[in-house]
Amino acid sequence: MNAQLLQLLLSLGEVALMVGLCFALFGRAPAPAAHAFDARLALDVPGLRAGRRAVSGDGRSVLVEDARDGAIYLAVACGDGVVTRRLSRTTRVSRDGERLTLGLKDFTLKRAELTLDDASDWEARLKGPAA
Amino acid sequence: MKPFDPVQLATPAFAVLVIAEMVFVRFTGRGRFEVKDTAASLMMGLGSVIVGALFAFLFVGFARLIMPFALFPIGWSWWAVVLCFVADDLRYYWWHRASHRVRWLWADHVNHHSSQHYNLSTALRQPWGGVLALPGLLFLAPLVLLGFPLEMIAFVHGINLVYQFWIHTESIGRFPRAIEAVMNTPSHHRVHHATNARYLDANYAGVFIVWDRMFGTFVAETDEDPPRYGIIGQIASFNPLRIALHGWVSLAGDLIHAKSPREAVLYLFAPPGWSPDGSRETSDSIKARWADVPAE
Repeated sequence: MNAQLLQLLLSLGEVALMVGLCFALFGRAPAPAAHAFDARLALDVPGLRAGRRAVSGDGRSVLVEDARDGAIYLAVACGDGVVTRRLSRTTRVSRDGERLTLGLKDFTLKRAELTLDDASDWEARLKGPAA
Repeated sequence: MKPFDPVQLATPAFAVLVIAEMVFVRFTGRGRFEVKDTAASLMMGLGSVIVGALFAFLFVGFARLIMPFALFPIGWSWWAVVLCFVADDLRYYWWHRASHRVRWLWADHVNHHSSQHYNLSTALRQPWGGVLALPGLLFLAPLVLLGFPLEMIAFVHGINLVYQFWIHTESIGRFPRAIEAVMNTPSHHRVHHATNARYLDANYAGVFIVWDRMFGTFVAETDEDPPRYGIIGQIASFNPLRIALHGWVSLAGDLIHAKSPREAVLYLFAPPGWSPDGSRETSDSIKARWADVPAE
């Protein structure tokens, strides 16, 4: 085993140790609180006037319609933070009962699944002219 | 004088300090850690060292290429090291400013800003651009052309990077005014990593904050507007490969869809967020909109 490979393995071990300690100290990240989704959207979409809103059954995704122009925004939990995206016509939308699957052209957020009581309404909305 | 690599020497201390900060944050609540985010940052750091080692020859090769045109034959001496350190910090300021204002450079540097957390592990979240970030090499030229030895430049830059490690923390508040006036501190650098409109494109300094004060990019941290960290359009992944590539993939996508060579050039060199139809937001447009909103 050469020295560089040994150094790499030691570094990986060091990273694993620090990650393990981080987990021991802080545990698994709690899902963001419900208000965190709205707070993030308010920051990312200045002037947003929230119209219709739907929270996924697992509480980790939210769809919000902007009452100003009908644009639909997705807010997704990412660790203990929230990430938002504007959904557009390029979003692939499919539905299986209450499960709505969104395929995004986004390198770090390719897919989102939401379980919604009114999934068919949102499907129609996302495929509609405002999208 | 035989040079050594300050970053390599400091790496064990980095690990100890990250652990110490975790424990401190756990018991005081002064800061935030998240396991996946920390893991991603640490892996980005490790990957960056590997990529850096693979492409170091480019930096050395470029420096050796322009060395014959050096103005002064500056040798190793204490004053030369001090001068080189200050000159390198000025070079760092301009490279860093360009890395936020030129999309090509931002595609690489964005990785360092991609965490929504701000702790010592964030300091290690470094890009993997390597050969793709070649224009950054140009910022090396003035020091080489002045005549500083390449080993001296590498040495002082290493010290610069080591200094910048400890300022990535929420656990330290503010220092006495005299220190905050001259040195880059955790408070100044929190501003740099923030996405709040008032803090965008500010505090590019490495070691001396005086460069920001001189060139008009200094913004002080205020208690009324605590920094929110990350980037405009937060990423939704903790996968180091996705983090490392997302800026490049986004840039490549825009270049592929560019309708003219002019558009392609502007996608490469205009500020991040530039688009032909103005449909996207740049930091300038975000700040202009923020300035237009009347204070409550």
